[in-house]
Amino acid sequence: MDYLLHILILIGIYTILSVSLNLISGYTGLLSVAQAALYGVGAYIAALLALHFHLPFLVGLVCAALGAAVISVIIAAPSLRVHDDYFVLATFAFQVIAFGVMNNWVNFTGGPMGLPGIPQPVIFGITISTHWQFLFLAAILAALAVLLVRCLVRAPFGRVLRAIREDEVFAQSLGKNVIKYKLLVFVIGGALAAVAGALYAHYISFIDPTSFTVQESIFILAIVIVGGSGSIAGSIVGAVALVALPEALRFIGLPSSIAANVRQILYGGALVACMMFRPQGILGEFSFRKLSRS
Amino acid sequence: MTAILEINNLSKSFDGVKALDGVSFAIEEKGIVSLIGPNGAGKTTLFNIICGFLNTNDGNVDFMGSKLNGLAAHRIARLGLGRTFQDLRLIRKMTVMENVLLAFQHQYGEGVIGALAGWKSGRQEKQNRRRALELLEFVGLADKANNLGDELSYGQQKLLTIACCLALDARLLLLDEPVAGIAPEMVEKMLGLLLRLREEGKTICLIEHNLEAVKAVSDRIIVLDEGRKIAEGRPEAVMQDAAVLEAYLS
Repeated sequence: MDYLLHILILIGIYTILSVSLNLISGYTGLLSVAQAALYGVGAYIAALLALHFHLPFLVGLVCAALGAAVISVIIAAPSLRVHDDYFVLATFAFQVIAFGVMNNWVNFTGGPMGLPGIPQPVIFGITISTHWQFLFLAAILAALAVLLVRCLVRAPFGRVLRAIREDEVFAQSLGKNVIKYKLLVFVIGGALAAVAGALYAHYISFIDPTSFTVQESIFILAIVIVGGSGSIAGSIVGAVALVALPEALRFIGLPSSIAANVRQILYGGALVACMMFRPQGILGEFSFRKLSRS
Repeated sequence: MTAILEINNLSKSFDGVKALDGVSFAIEEKGIVSLIGPNGAGKTTLFNIICGFLNTNDGNVDFMGSKLNGLAAHRIARLGLGRTFQDLRLIRKMTVMENVLLAFQHQYGEGVIGALAGWKSGRQEKQNRRRALELLEFVGLADKANNLGDELSYGQQKLLTIACCLALDARLLLLDEPVAGIAPEMVEKMLGLLLRLREEGKTICLIEHNLEAVKAVSDRIIVLDEGRKIAEGRPEAVMQDAAVLEAYLS
């Protein structure tokens, strides 16, 4: 039972991550591979505040979101000066830098050893310790994240994002401040990823840089693309598909030593198959294939 | 009548090639001015500079008393300067209605707070929808409101981009080849629309190669050739100007 709850909690965390990236990449068309960096920033800020200052979970959560918002601006501002493929490369560079900082700033982040012993979250006097409680917390945070992004994309705000995605010159000619919108979605998406990070840190109670690598960014991107870019429901479906289905590997007798690698092969295979046969994903409306025209 | 747009001594070079060389003219309010000239004369470059998509190397642009030099394109659009593009830009994957709604200014729902606190934005959205429908009726696309931009004919797409300029509340419309590539009946429809827009008090400056169309609607014509203004005046006079004829024939 605990195992099933664990999977559901992970689905919750990845739902937050995938809607956060969907806002940036699916709706606005900014293909970013730096989302794991922001996920990690959130995890580390929350962990450090809890470990050193014993701040309550919600305070740590807000600080994590704010910290990631700042880092998002640092990543986005220079990256947005270039377009399309170069933009993706710029986000890739920042992702690698972020990992480098997490891995090498040993005094602050613990380096490769990571941060163990992250305390359980305390919310309004209640300590979250069981799987059921964590699932409840994850479900609430995921629901709030989904609601936030859904409100944004269904409003005229979302219409501007889609216009930027399809033809930003046209959007400018209609008076839309395109740069401002791009920065905004990065900040909001980054803050949401940080929320997922804080949740993850307190749930696993141990974090290290290997959870926040470029492969993780690509995994989150795979969820967005396979589930459906530009579709909130797609983000949820994608999270379920890519988190839960590979777990089925355990039940078909694969030795655990290669299970992780087979999982990587599955993700890569799903992404390639998706791009070849159904680029808009299971439920999506936007296909990244178009990104090659400028 | 006051000049709504004033161009002074505008120059623009691309890698040493002079696309525009000291171009100056003024556009009076409430009229239709056509900008003509052979290919490569610098007409679209001029539009791009006025609208803020390109920087100018020299000279300045004045729109309703504001200097446009160095302003971002979206700011210039908000001042009331609408444009259409030679390569027909619009959002093909959104409906006609959504394209027009996109163009309205001061939408609460376009801000983060407004998007999250829905109710004020919802009311404004309803008003905008009504207004959008009126604009679509004006240009003759009301029955296509729920069709995707993709599903329209080329000529209808051009009408849509003009409806967007109207939703933007543009006082001056810069139209880049509005009748190029569309069927003759549609050309009539488009020219009729331009004349009605002039009656409504809009100022229009259009780039066109279709000289019949130009003659039919223009109050004044400005001719560019190789980045320089070579003629300006009433259609009858300009069309017979020796320099103009030479530019087109050579």
